[in-house]
Amino acid sequence: MSDIEGSPGSSMHGVTGRELTFALSVASPIVPTDTTANFDLPVDSEHKAKVFKLFSFANPHMRTFHLSWISFFTCFVSTFAAAPLVPIIRDNLNLKKQDIGNAGVASVSGSIFSRLVMGAVCDLLGPRYGCAFLIMLSAPTVFSMSFVKDAGGYIAVRFMIGFSLATFVSCQYWMSTMFNSKIIGLVNGTAAGWGNMGGGATQLIMPLVYDIIRRVGATPFTAWRIAFFIPGWLHIIMGILVLTLGQDLPDGNLSSLQKKGNVAKDKFGKVLWYAVTNYRTWVFVLLYGYSMGVELSTDNVIAEYFYDRFNLKLHTAGIIAATFGMANLVARPFGGYASDKAAQLFGMRGRLWVLWILQTAGGAFCIWLGRANSLPIAILAMILFSIGAQAACGATFGIIPFISRRSLGIISGLTGAGGNFGSGLTQLIFFSTSRFSTAAGLTWMGVMIVACTLPVSLVHFPQWGSMFLPPSKDITMSTEEHYYSSEWNEDEKKKGMHSASLKFAENSRSERGKRVASTPTPPNTTPTHV
Amino acid sequence: MAARALLLGFILVFACFSDTCFAIIYFSSLQRTLVVTASHPQRLLKAGEDKITVTWGLNQSFPAGTDSAYKTIKVQLCYAPISQVDRAWRKTHDSLSKDKTCQFKIVKTPYTTTNHTSEWTIERDVPTATYFVRAYALDAQDQQVAYGQNTDAKKTTNLFEIQAITGRHVSLDIASVCFSAFSVVALMGFFFAEKRKGGKAQQ
Repeated sequence: MSDIEGSPGSSMHGVTGRELTFALSVASPIVPTDTTANFDLPVDSEHKAKVFKLFSFANPHMRTFHLSWISFFTCFVSTFAAAPLVPIIRDNLNLKKQDIGNAGVASVSGSIFSRLVMGAVCDLLGPRYGCAFLIMLSAPTVFSMSFVKDAGGYIAVRFMIGFSLATFVSCQYWMSTMFNSKIIGLVNGTAAGWGNMGGGATQLIMPLVYDIIRRVGATPFTAWRIAFFIPGWLHIIMGILVLTLGQDLPDGNLSSLQKKGNVAKDKFGKVLWYAVTNYRTWVFVLLYGYSMGVELSTDNVIAEYFYDRFNLKLHTAGIIAATFGMANLVARPFGGYASDKAAQLFGMRGRLWVLWILQTAGGAFCIWLGRANSLPIAILAMILFSIGAQAACGATFGIIPFISRRSLGIISGLTGAGGNFGSGLTQLIFFSTSRFSTAAGLTWMGVMIVACTLPVSLVHFPQWGSMFLPPSKDITMSTEEHYYSSEWNEDEKKKGMHSASLKFAENSRSERGKRVASTPTPPNTTPTHV
Repeated sequence: MAARALLLGFILVFACFSDTCFAIIYFSSLQRTLVVTASHPQRLLKAGEDKITVTWGLNQSFPAGTDSAYKTIKVQLCYAPISQVDRAWRKTHDSLSKDKTCQFKIVKTPYTTTNHTSEWTIERDVPTATYFVRAYALDAQDQQVAYGQNTDAKKTTNLFEIQAITGRHVSLDIASVCFSAFSVVALMGFFFAEKRKGGKAQQ
């Protein structure tokens, strides 16, 4: 195709408007393959993989993926390991409802801080040691469940185990050193979703292990303590595997990571400023608290709820509770996929609507779950609720990359923290008091989800519009370039620091949906050939 | 088509009501015809060690024939009100199928007209709480028809406390410390070994 310099629309060549946020592979013309490299997968110039081959364990890229998501999965297993055993633990430790609720809050609060620290640790030691340090140093906290004898000890131990959820950060960081940025969306989304499955798997594993230990002859109050050795051993095993089989970079060299400067060249203060002064950041912090947050809260209460309300056996309640968390296998990627499909047709407006629909549906099904009086209806409502909430998580991260280019890291981190904060809040309000039953708590949590999802209608992009409003009519304000370069001041623009943002702006024009082809060439943009 | 829909409707309705195949029995409808006493060595008992001796029999002030339907006696350990506060999983419901007051079975034996005594060693899965003892008289279909308890109607007298086992063991504690130490030492070992290897390679 002939490329007449500067002709209208020439900068759009190659962009079909159909690029997915989550792509399975990057085609060669877009990112050239380094043919001198000798890896199992095609790689780019930094030796990051361009292809995501799910069922391979090839060193280093896919092996890193599997080590990473399984480590994150393990930490979810141990953080929520107590939840399905609460009916036994509450009798052993003489817990009241407030104690159980407070322990649930504690289990998700610790990682708000540990995730922030983990970013710095990964910068200093690399993601491999970041992951290994966290997972092996939190193993003692899991084993210390055998010492717990009252509510205070229980809450403290669950708080400490919760720190391990920061493996999320090392997981995502490690992926970004191994996979090309064009497919990093799918890779990270899959890793996050499969890690979250641990919250479901633990509801199956722990009652099963407990049952086996009881059959061997232990009394209930000892058996649950022994059961905690399983997640503890998993921590140690995964830590050793990460240390022996993992490597920081495709080329295996940690020190070059620090020399080359994967460390941000940007000033932290500036990046933070542009993150916190963008109102969209806070809307999504709130929203994620009511998709991921309620998912974590439900992981903590659902097994006990089914055990008590429907008089089930412990492992039956566990199996039902497990289906909630295990839906992450497909639900979260589905949310991302639905977001992408909507973007193809309706652009950013489609993404916002998809998020609103999925999250509100999740809230509605949560209300239904609380009000369901028969077991089959309750299970159905729970499954639909899980799909809604988890797909909303996936859809959220279909939008986050577009809020800011400069501060994407911090905004992702803040959003993640918002998820944990929302979880702590909902557990505190609805599940730590005897004022209303767990069933009523679930119903009111559903109402809160619906209410707190409404602010997504306020998110407006001048270049793409919002759920109800069209994009700005102003010719400069309605460009992606204007939006993304507004994060840089004149000095920084003179130094050319905003060039990556401009490139991103160009690529993000796909968020206009079907209107891409009719985009006028904006004035004052850097021409294709300088 | 209409016949199929009707059949489906019947099945659904039947499924919904299958739970209520048996009549709902309310505690308030039961007569307190049994006299139950429980004796124990001291007020604070230890699970797994101490014994409770329970005696039950028909209250002779009731007319003869009151116990004609009684086939079995089920004696249970029940939570006193103070141990039910803030613990909805121990809540008292009038509907016996929902009632969670009595969660531990002491003994279940065929009904005899003479007074019966049973000695029970407190099981090791009984939690720390305040308790009383209640006996239900069951008919041939295992439905409750009468009851008796060692405390008054308000459940304030003759209560006793049981102290649960901790569930902790020294061997468990030691294993826990060993594995924790292994985890930390292994990590540090790897870290320093690799640092030294890296240092040597640079020399």
